[in-house]
Amino acid sequence: MLGKLMKYEWKATWKLLLPMNLLIVIMTFLACITVQVDFFDSDNGMVVFSAMMILLTYMGSMFVVCIGTAIYLIYRFYTSTYGDQGYLLHTLPVDKHHIIISKVLVSAAWIFISMILMFMSVMFLFAQEGEFLQDFVDSFASIIEYWGGAEVTGFIMIMTVIATIFHIFARILKITACISLGQLSADHKVLMSFAFYFAFYFVQQIFTMLYYVFIEVLNSASESLYISFFDNSWEGTLISSIIYSVIFYLVTWYVMDKKLNLE
Amino acid sequence: MAPIVQCMGLTKTYGGKVALNQIHLTLERGRIIGLLGPNGSGKTTLIKIMNGLLKPTAGEIYINGQKPGIDTKYRVSYLPERTYLYAGMKVIEMVQYFQDFYPDFRMDRAYDMLNRLQIPPNERLKNLSKGTKEKVQLILVMSRDADLYILDEPIAGVDPASRDYILHTIVSNYNRNATILLSTHLISDVENILDEVVFIKYGNIILQAGAEQIRQNEHKSIDRFFREVFAC
Repeated sequence: MLGKLMKYEWKATWKLLLPMNLLIVIMTFLACITVQVDFFDSDNGMVVFSAMMILLTYMGSMFVVCIGTAIYLIYRFYTSTYGDQGYLLHTLPVDKHHIIISKVLVSAAWIFISMILMFMSVMFLFAQEGEFLQDFVDSFASIIEYWGGAEVTGFIMIMTVIATIFHIFARILKITACISLGQLSADHKVLMSFAFYFAFYFVQQIFTMLYYVFIEVLNSASESLYISFFDNSWEGTLISSIIYSVIFYLVTWYVMDKKLNLE
Repeated sequence: MAPIVQCMGLTKTYGGKVALNQIHLTLERGRIIGLLGPNGSGKTTLIKIMNGLLKPTAGEIYINGQKPGIDTKYRVSYLPERTYLYAGMKVIEMVQYFQDFYPDFRMDRAYDMLNRLQIPPNERLKNLSKGTKEKVQLILVMSRDADLYILDEPIAGVDPASRDYILHTIVSNYNRNATILLSTHLISDVENILDEVVFIKYGNIILQAGAEQIRQNEHKSIDRFFREVFAC
């Protein structure tokens, strides 16, 4: 049944999200032409203005796709799970685990596709002709180093991608947990979902702060015991994302299976 | 064989408000049963609990001898009072959806009913009127070979001219060993097909009796009797 649920989740989401992702490709193509041909050096004011408009539209489209994808996926989860369509979904003879997994996997896939396209888009825009691949790797390495990585190796790059995927799962499951908990409220379901989101955010910030304090205390206690395990950001991201994913998954499942409240 | 529905001390409260008050109810197989009561009497709450869409506050409920869950969903065909169809889908895609998830779904029966009600299979659901969407939903629900059909207000949104056909569709398309539980306000339209009625008021079952028994004992139609019992 998981396969069938995923099939229909894809069918329901691709009609809007595929064109949105194609928009990234088209705008990247237009922006690349604008940069490569160097319209900005033209004497014609209209040409320079048009080039500026293309680049502004490119940046705007990135923003729209980024925000639009997130809003649509949240709306889709809410309406199909706890809205009118929930009456069909929850009367299907399927396991609640399969419902959650299908929605999270499809949402994560769309977000990952958008992220890859945007990343590639920026790389394309700034890469010089013939040096694209090297520029691509260098840019990726510098981003990881900026996040706290030491020497960037192939292993770190792969682990960073894996950590990013788990981070996406954690983010999605946080939202599914908040929406699910919001359903327990009789009158203010959406408002309560937001309240839970900010409450979780606050708690997560406290845990992050406590974690850094703990590391500092350990490091100051002994030079020889210096904790370098979490120096590379992917490790911290991966471990925290897995922990948060498990917690938010269990919250979502518990509400959906034990406390469903379709009024 | 266990009764198709068994409720024991079933209670549901919303905050401090009691929607169902320690209900004891047994529904037998092979019957068409009317679940009748005024607005806010607890009909829809009871139906949602039977379908696992709400969890009871207290008490037990068994469908086909099992608590509501995946196994009972294979045997219960439910028509809610609201439209749950995916608006972007075509009618034919929604038929395929039911075929994919319910092993007891009969594709030929669905197409036959669509054809007789002149609903184009390739039309998108968002282009259909509210009444036609309700007909599509009813067709999907009645195209299953279920043990229990739970129909919440199945004729409320359709025009009077279509009601007889819809009721005929319900009666002629269900498995004779199955039970139909039908909740409606339009009692005069459905009373001729009912074998049994359950009156519910303020979350309490106040009457469960055979339809013919009521007519004979009270010397009036069920619609008339309902109006007297629930007079404001």
